[in-house]
This record gives sequence, C-alpha cells and structure tokens, in this order.
Amino acid sequence: MHFHMIIVAVFWFGFVDSRKIRGISSSYKRFFRERKSFLCIDGSKIIPFEQVNDDYCDCEDGSDEPGTSACPQGRFYCTNLGFRPHYIPSSRVNDGICDCCDASDEYNSHAHCQNACWNLGQRERAYVEGQMRTLDEGLQLKQQLIEEGVLLWREKQAQLRELQQVAEDLQTKLEERRSRKQEADRLKEQTPRPPEAGDGRLFRGQNSTVTGTFKLLDSNKDGSITVDEVQAKVALVHDEERVLSEDEAVALLGGDHQMDLTTFQHTLWDILTNGGRVKIKDTHGAPGVGEDPPLKVADREWEATNLKKVEEAYDTVNMEISDLREKLAIDYGPDWEFLFLNSQCYKLKVYERWGMWEGPPKNQYGRMVYENGEPCWQGGSRSTTVTLTCGTETALRSVKEPSKCQYIMDFQTPVACQPVLKQRGIHSEL
Amino acid sequence: MATFTGSMAPVLVLWLAMSLSGTWAVDKGNFKTCDQSAFCKRQRALKPGDSPYRALLETMELTNTRLTLQLINDNNKVRLLLELYRLQGNMTRVKINELKPLKPRFEVPDVLITEPSTEPLSLLSQDENGVVLSLGTESQRVIISARPFRLDIMEGPEVLMSLNSRGLLAFEHLRMRKDTWFSKGPPGCTSSKEEEKVDGMWEETFKSHSDSKPNGPSAISLDFSLPGVEHVYGIPEHADTLRLKTTDNGDPYRLYNLDVFQYELYNPMALYGAVPVMLAHKAQRTTGIFWLNAAETWVDISSNTAGKTVFGKMLDYVQGSSETPQTDVRWISESGIIDVFIMLGPTPKDVFSQYASLTGTQSFPPLAAVGYHQCRWNYNDQEDVASVDAGFDEHDIPYDYIWLDIEHTDGKRYFTWDSHKFASPKEMLQALEDKKRKMVAIVDPHIKVDSNYKIHNEIRNKGFYIKNKDGGDYEGWCWPGSAGYPDFTRPDMRAWWASMFAYDQYEGTAENLYTWNDMNEPSVFNGPEVTMHKDAVHGAWEHRDVHNLYGLYVQMATAEGQIQRSGGVERPFVLTRAFFAGSQRYGAVWTGDNAAEWDHLKVSIPMCLSLGLVGISFCGADVGGFFKSPSTELLVRWYQTGAYQPFFRAHAHLDTPRREPWLFGPENTALIRDVVRQRYTLLPYWYQQFYHAYRTGEPIMRPLWVEYPQDPATFVWFDVHTFQKHNGAQSLYIPVTMSSIPVFQRGGSIIPRKMRVRRSSSCMTHDPYTLYVALNLQRTAEGELYIDDGHTFNYEKKEFIHRRLSFAKNMLSSVNLATDAEFSTGSWIERIVILGASKPSKVTLKTADGQESQLEFDFDASMSVLTLRKPGVNAGLDWNVMLQ
Repeated sequence: MHFHMIIVAVFWFGFVDSRKIRGISSSYKRFFRERKSFLCIDGSKIIPFEQVNDDYCDCEDGSDEPGTSACPQGRFYCTNLGFRPHYIPSSRVNDGICDCCDASDEYNSHAHCQNACWNLGQRERAYVEGQMRTLDEGLQLKQQLIEEGVLLWREKQAQLRELQQVAEDLQTKLEERRSRKQEADRLKEQTPRPPEAGDGRLFRGQNSTVTGTFKLLDSNKDGSITVDEVQAKVALVHDEERVLSEDEAVALLGGDHQMDLTTFQHTLWDILTNGGRVKIKDTHGAPGVGEDPPLKVADREWEATNLKKVEEAYDTVNMEISDLREKLAIDYGPDWEFLFLNSQCYKLKVYERWGMWEGPPKNQYGRMVYENGEPCWQGGSRSTTVTLTCGTETALRSVKEPSKCQYIMDFQTPVACQPVLKQRGIHSEL
Repeated sequence: MATFTGSMAPVLVLWLAMSLSGTWAVDKGNFKTCDQSAFCKRQRALKPGDSPYRALLETMELTNTRLTLQLINDNNKVRLLLELYRLQGNMTRVKINELKPLKPRFEVPDVLITEPSTEPLSLLSQDENGVVLSLGTESQRVIISARPFRLDIMEGPEVLMSLNSRGLLAFEHLRMRKDTWFSKGPPGCTSSKEEEKVDGMWEETFKSHSDSKPNGPSAISLDFSLPGVEHVYGIPEHADTLRLKTTDNGDPYRLYNLDVFQYELYNPMALYGAVPVMLAHKAQRTTGIFWLNAAETWVDISSNTAGKTVFGKMLDYVQGSSETPQTDVRWISESGIIDVFIMLGPTPKDVFSQYASLTGTQSFPPLAAVGYHQCRWNYNDQEDVASVDAGFDEHDIPYDYIWLDIEHTDGKRYFTWDSHKFASPKEMLQALEDKKRKMVAIVDPHIKVDSNYKIHNEIRNKGFYIKNKDGGDYEGWCWPGSAGYPDFTRPDMRAWWASMFAYDQYEGTAENLYTWNDMNEPSVFNGPEVTMHKDAVHGAWEHRDVHNLYGLYVQMATAEGQIQRSGGVERPFVLTRAFFAGSQRYGAVWTGDNAAEWDHLKVSIPMCLSLGLVGISFCGADVGGFFKSPSTELLVRWYQTGAYQPFFRAHAHLDTPRREPWLFGPENTALIRDVVRQRYTLLPYWYQQFYHAYRTGEPIMRPLWVEYPQDPATFVWFDVHTFQKHNGAQSLYIPVTMSSIPVFQRGGSIIPRKMRVRRSSSCMTHDPYTLYVALNLQRTAEGELYIDDGHTFNYEKKEFIHRRLSFAKNMLSSVNLATDAEFSTGSWIERIVILGASKPSKVTLKTADGQESQLEFDFDASMSVLTLRKPGVNAGLDWNVMLQ
C-alpha cells in the first residue's frame, strides 16, 4: 500500500507542475514545485516563483526559463510522446521553426506545427527494425568472416613457420658454403696456379673431358646415358635441389630416352660446357671420385657461384618472412575479422597500404585514415578517411572530396556490425 | 555537361598552371606601370609650370545657373569650353571639354542619380585679368584668372582649393591621324610619325597585346591644390593605408578595374574597383573631389610637408616663417572629358551628404544580408550544403546565407545548375527556407560561347555582346573557356539581363536565392592586364571610355533583376567585386581575392574604411583569407574582426582544406561561435546603421576623424564585454586573450541589441530588445532604434518605426522620429543596461497611456552598471523610465 501512495503522490505533483512549467523533463520537476520562490538550479539566486517562465532570464544558468527563449544558455525539453524526447536550445523556442515533433516548442509563433511524433516514431521503429535485421544478418556474416579470418590467420602463421624452417635450413647451408669458399680462397692463396687451358672450368673434381663427363653420367656403364641417369646427375643451375622432370631430361637427351657418346659430344656436352641452364650435380662421393681432388681456379669460382645462389635464396626467404610478419602485425581487429579485406579492391583503390584505425575510443574500428598518399596537384598529399558502417555486404557506398585531395569514403561491411547496437534499440514514451 | 573543345582546353590549363603554380605574389609584370601606359607617361612628363591655357574672358556667358568660358591653348590654338556650376549643397562643378571636338567625347552616364540642381551664380567683379563670382552663401567666391588660366575657390580670405594652379591642365584634342599638332604641353612641340609611334599615341603594345587606338591620343589631366591640407583619403580600391601617400617617388595611384591575381599590399596598383573620389581633411574643414571619368585614371599626390618630421613641422610653426602645409593632387585620365565635382564640406558629414546627393546612398540591404555568410569555393553538392547547414545547428552558430561558387553551374554556364551535384535546387532552397536561411549563387558576366546554351544564343542573336575592333563579337578566355561579354552599357541589354532572373527564366530558383557578381572588371584571362582590350567596342564608344563602369552596370542589372522577379516588393542582395562611383546603390562589395595572412587581415580595415568614405559602406573582406590556409589563431582573429565589419562572409579557395567554424577543436569553435553571436546580438544596431547610411550617405565603418573632426578628448568609453570604463584622451594598452575583442561603446551612446541569438536573423524578428545606455560625463546618452519588416521596400512607403532614445536628467525616453511612418512590431523592451550609472532608489516606467509602474533593477556597484528588469513595453511605442 505504501508503494501505491508514492505512485499517487508523484502523479499528483506531475499533474500540478506540468500544467504550469513548460519545457522541463519529469526528472527536473522536483526543482519546480510551486512555492513562493524559486531557487536557480545552480543555487545562485532566489527569485519569486512568478518569474519562472515569465520570458525574462533571471538565473545565470538559465534554469528559471525552461519554457521560453529568454535565457541564452537555456534548454527546452521536447516530450515528444510517441517518439524520442530530447532537449533543444532555448533559442529554438518560438522561432517559427518546428523543432519538437510534438510542436511544443512553437506555442507562441506563426509557425503551424503539426504533431508528427507518432509518424516519426513509426518511421523510426520501422527503420530501427530494418537496422536490427541488417545487424542480425550482418553479425552472422561477421561471424563467418571471423571464422574465415581465423583460418586465414592460422594458414598464414603456418606459412610463416614453414618459411622460417626453410630459412633455417638455408642458413645452415649458407654457413657450409661460406666455409667452403673460405677454404677455396685459402688454398688459392697457398698454391697459386695459372688457370688451366681447356674445358676444366665447369666441373668440380672431374676429368673435364668429353669422355670423362660421359662416363660420369653413364652410371651403369652401358655406353649410353638414360633419363634416369640424367635425372640423377644433372641439375638446373638456378635450382640445384630440384630433380629434373622426365620431360626435361628427355629434352636434354635431344628428345630421346638415351644418348651415346657421339651424340653427347655434339649436344649435351655443349650445353653443359657453355654454362647454360644445367650443370652436373655437385656430387658428394659420387662414383669415380675417390679422393678430394686438388682445388683449381674453376673450383673457387664454382664455390663463389654457389655461395651467391644460396645467399640469394636466403635473402628471398627472409624477405618473404618479413613481408608476412608485417602483414600479420597489422591490426585486423580483435578477431582478425578485417583480414579478409587485405589486398581487396573496392572500386577506388587509392592506396596499397593498410591505413590507421582512428575511430573514437568506443568504436575504434569505425574509421580508418590513410595519409601521405599520392602528391596532390597543388602541393600536399592525398588523404582518405574511410568510415565503416554495418551492412550485409562489403561495398563502398560513397566517395566524397570535401576539400581538394581529401577524400571521405563510406564503406559498408558486416564486419563493422557491433552487437552493442542491439542493446540500444528505441526508447519511446508511449 | 561541360566539355572543353580540343582547342580551348590547353589554353585554359596553361593559364591555370601559370596562375596557380608559382610563388605567392602578384606578378607585377602583368600590370602596367605609369611608364608602360602611354598616356600616363606622356602626361606625367609634364612638369608644373606656366599653363599654356588662357581664359578668353570675352567669350564668358553667365546665366543664372551656369558660367561658360572658352580656354585656348596658346601652343596649338585648340579651344576648350569651360562650364562652371554652383550646385545645391555647397558644391561646385567644373566641366571642361573641347569646344569643337572632332567627334563627341565620352561623358559618363548613369552614375549621377539625377542632373544635379544648380544654385544661382553672380558676378562680383571682372577685369582683364579675371573674373570673381559669388558662390552664394558663406562669402564663397570663385576667382577665374585669365592668363594663365586658373580657378581659386575661396571662403572669406581662405583659399579652399585651386585648379590648374600648377599648370597641369592638359587636354589631348581629338585629331585626324595625319595631324601633326600635339597638345603635349611644352611649347612648340611638333613631331614626326615615328615619334607618334614611340609615344603610343596611335598604337600601343603591352606584352603581346596591341591596342589599336583608332581615335589617337585623348588624355586629360588637371591639378588641384589644397592649402592647409596634410591628409587626403579615398580613391579606392587600393590595398594600402587609409591615409594616402605621396606618389613623388613612385607610381601614381591607379584606378583601373583589374582582376589582380594574389594582390600585393601597400602599393598604389589598381585593383578590382575604382571610385574616383578623394577627401581632403584638416581640422576645420573637409572637402572632396569627385572626378567623374570612367577611363583608366592615375592620381598623383604630393605634399610640401611629406618629407618633414614632426619636429620639423613644429620648428616651422614656432618660427612662423614657413609656408602653410599643402597637398597637391593631379588627376590623369585616358579619355573622356574633365567633369569634376568639388565638394566643399565643411564637415566630413557634409561631404558625405554632398557626394550622396550626386551618386546616391548605400542601398538598404535586407536585414539577413547583415548577418553572417558562409561561403567556399565550392560547396560541392546538395548533400554538402545540407551537411554544412546542419553543422551550424549542431554547433549552435547562426548564419543567414550559404554561398555557391562557380562549380554549382553546368560547366560554368551561369543561370544553370550542375544536374548531378544540384539535381533539385528548389528542394535545397526549400530546406534552407525551412530554417529561414538563404543562399547566394554566383552569376558572372562572361558567357560561355556554346550554341547549346540559351543565354549565349539569346545574347548573340540580340547582338548584345561587346564587339571587337573588327566588328565581331568580342571573345576572351574565362572560367568556361571561350566566353563573350554582354554589353552592360546598353539599357536594353541590362533590361534583358534583369529579366533572366525571373523565376520562370532562371530555373531552380526561389525567393531565398540571391546573387554574386564576380569577375566583372571584366576579367579576361587572355586579355591585356587580364581584362578587356581597350579597343573593344560598346556601340559608339570604346571599351577604353567605359571600362571602370562595366562592373557597376553588371551589378545594377542584376539587382534590378532581383527586384523585378518579386514584382518590386523585395529588396535585392547582390555582391560585386568590381565597382565604380555609384555602386553603393546596388549592394555589397568585397575586397576580392585576399590571402590568409595577418597583413591581409590588417589591410581589410583601411580598405573598407576607404570604401566607406566614398559612399560604399557595405564592404567586407573574405574572412579567413581566400588564398592559402589560415592558422587557427588567424582564422579566429579574422572572425573577430569580420564580425565588426559591415559585410561578414567567410570564403576559401578551392585548393584549401575545409574551414567551417567547427573544424578546429571545441575551444576554437566556441570562440568563433561567440563572436558570430556577438554579431547577431548587434544586428539591430547594424541595421539602424545601414538605414542611417541609406538615408545620409555617411559611412558605417568610419575613421575616427570622421566622427571627431577636431579630436575632442572628453569622452569616456566602455568595454562592451566587461563594462570597464576608460576615460578618453589617453593611450591605453588593452591586454587581450584569444577570446577578447577590444570593442568599446562611447559614453553618450545608446545601442539596441537582441540578446536571443537564434539560427538566423529572420528567426529573431519578433525578439525583444536590450538597450545598452552608456552615459557620458554629462550623464546623457542618445541613440536610435529602427525597425521594419527587414526585407521589402515597404520602408519607402513609410512602413517602419524610427525612434530616438535619449537619456538626460535621469530619464530615458523613447520618442518617435518619424511621425508620418507606421509599422507595428511584436518586439518589446526586455532589459535596459545603463553603464556609468549610480544606484537609484526607485525606477518608474511610464507608458504612452500614462500608466506608471515600478521596475525591478539590479545594480553592480563595482562596475556602476544598472540593469532594469523587463520594462516589457512595446518597442514601437512612446515610453520613459525615470531613475529616482
């Protein structure tokens, strides 16, 4: 019963006060209980109650004139039943322009304002419903994109690990090569020799004669070189590791599956000696190589070439690693949901690079800024601000250039959908 | 849509590249010095000495209102006809033309509002040496000396002004091409054909441009001596100090309407407009010279005290031996006749009134035009307009007009809209109207040569284009590429142009769309000095004769169009860049393409003061600076300055970043909001000042010497923000912060304000007034209150309220100043703030019906400020308030 009495009391006060005090919300009614005098809400002054809403500003804080335009700092409360209540500056009271949808701000003006709150409310509700649908759908899509993002992220991580492994291997190899080369250089200094005449520059530890090479290749000593034998002993100059394919081997054999010495002398021998694409593999303990042969000039060059190749390969892999790391260091959102956008192009590809997230603290991923773009004609460089909004598709909605070379893009994507929006909804005093 | 033809695009691009790249400074080489302007060089070569002119007294004819007399040049025997008139209101008009010119010489039409009324002249004495005429009142006389010819205007024993006292009268008579006689001045001057060419008499080239000069030499020149005068002002437009400098060591001040790209400060170069009016001031008398000539004009100023230090002047004074100070002025024009109005004051206000009686007063603008204007090259589309408009509401900053520059058109075809960016202009205008706001769209006078463009076709078919020297339509380059220039000197052309503003002609327009005329010098990108060839043809006259008038005519026709579209009901608002004497009748002017630099902010003050002195009160500079980007501090300070200048518009170049008031952080937004709101609280005062300017021709923005010609020192001034009182006759250092603007109200004045600042001026129509009464040492004050509907011509039908507010003997009263006028207002007196007051015991309000009531009041003893609470009386009625 106590509970009921409070309700009744509030109701009674509300009834009495709202008849008199224009422009206040219910939460402010307690300041305006009808008495003999009114205390400005900031406590600065006491005035007779008749001077509340008498169209003259007495309180510095404007609190005595909530319902008129008299106070420069004042504000007027639009109740807007059926729609959202809100405050407008006092200067918009009776200015001939309908601001409150319930027309309450124009109670003494020439404006003919209709109460439009219900219509606005309907429209707003329909809009919000639409937005909610979009949001639901968007959030589902976002979840998919998050999953895809995570997968992609893992994939990239795996790729990174692989590359790192390759890099490690290469490093080992590199060290080995370096020591070999140092060895070669050292020997050269100890036993300087004039370069040998003939074809001896190509192979390490071989008799670089036609017959010697043929014998080296002819593993089974049957007097002809076969595809298997080529695959076993010949490699590409730029990719020593890879075993030649059958087709490639056949090609080297002049289109046949085997080759005798005579043919070899005029074909494959030339290819091998001319320093082209292929060479004899670096054979460790290959048949016919019994002991370390003496190092020659050709061997030093051989070592240098090989070292260079390994160094190049190592550099390449490391570049790939740092590239990938850089990409993985980008802020793709807490769940990598923006990862799918990487390298995507939406109509107007101004920049290659990922911009900076610069949304407000509450919605950090709501805005991305790209700066230092291509030079602008009259000095300066281009910049773009991309605003991300929730939508069911990922698409560029508009591009504007409010100032020269400063672009604003409106970008819609499910990823920008925030579950927090769902909690807001619409508040109406129905 | 606009597409450049293959041939025009490269030229335009080239021009843009030349003009937009490069360093920041005017390219002086694009504009002539006196030496490069043949007639100026010829005339300036004449040195002071005995004039070859002699008055033929036997030819004198004197009627009641006019004296005529022939002058003869003893060197070449060419005769001139002198006419002398005494005009009503203490003016003398002197006209000199050839007695028998080979063909008529141009006389400027449409600038004088009416043929000036004359007053009787009478002959006082005459002998073989000269004639003395009475100028009627005040013992004023004109002495005409015969040999050499000179004129002296006297009052009592004092010479007010002398003409041809230095013998610089020159009149290049029209002649046949083969003629070898020249009025070059120095005696016995004949010359060969080669010399003609050298002199540029029959042809002149500047850079790649040739001026064919089919009429040969036609320059005129006359000197004026101003005894006792050390300060001369006026002859705008120059980016220079208020007080004009002597020109002995440099070029004369030049008056030739030019589109000067990135103009330089503090030099006498010509700018966009020209008003050939000079004011001379000394403590006891202010006089004026109005040289009515629309051709290229140069003005030389010299002074016998120019080089002297203050100490030197004092020494002269003490020794009593020196000559009196004197300023000598010399006017040189390329063609036309000498037609000069000598305004004899004696006070500055008399000179304004005299000049106003000749050329009219400032047009009374719609109240909204006195508010704040938001402009940019360019607001890109309707959405952009809507969002800027919303930005003002969001940040609670009032504004009245948003502006569209050239990009709003369909390919720089004026009177059209870009169909993509501005697809529904009427909707856009309605949205502004819903907030009681307005728009200005640019309409320039260069018309795109395009057979699919209605405006071009009509002008061409009607033969309204200016012609080139060979008789074809003159074409030049401007924003649209190849463009024609309508001949605005033709009344039928102007009538047609005006008709184009009708709502059914200018599609997509509504009542709240107004106009801006730019580039009307006219600007011709590929013309000599970026303007039209002087040998272009306007009917019987050359462009040479009418050049400085072109801009005035464009604005005249445009304003007329706006008046006509409303059936003569609504006041127009038209902004122009080029102007001439009389342009004040058609709207506002601005100081053109300035820059975001502190010096440009500073020079906006003397530039607008100078314009005000010659009748053009409605003046402003681009707030923020047009070229370049202002620092935030400069922008804020520019707003604080612009808010206290008559025309208050922010504008920015296409290449600059956005600078709407809320883009510089909350603190600066607040500073700008505050000063724009100050402007709006003062709109009643501004509006009354505009009414006053419209009625009297007095400037709104005035140098102190205008208000206090003899520099009285016994004033008090009140800081309008703090109410701090300062006594006059002292130098004060006023400390300022970013938020303070040193604005003072003089003790003895009453200023009406509206303190409820709303979204636009129209929203404030019915708001109540607060009266700020600042008492002087005699504890009196006076002011006025003017109220009308704010937008129609009904004030001409006496529909307004005009009241005198005066405070004396502890009583403030409002009395009717215009008993024959009638208007009703809903506005009332909300508050009265009396500065410099003492505390009363009782305050009684008495209304017209005799009722008395007590007013509550609040007294701030520390500042001596008395605030009377809510008198509540209607602003249009009689009332008084008694302090006891």
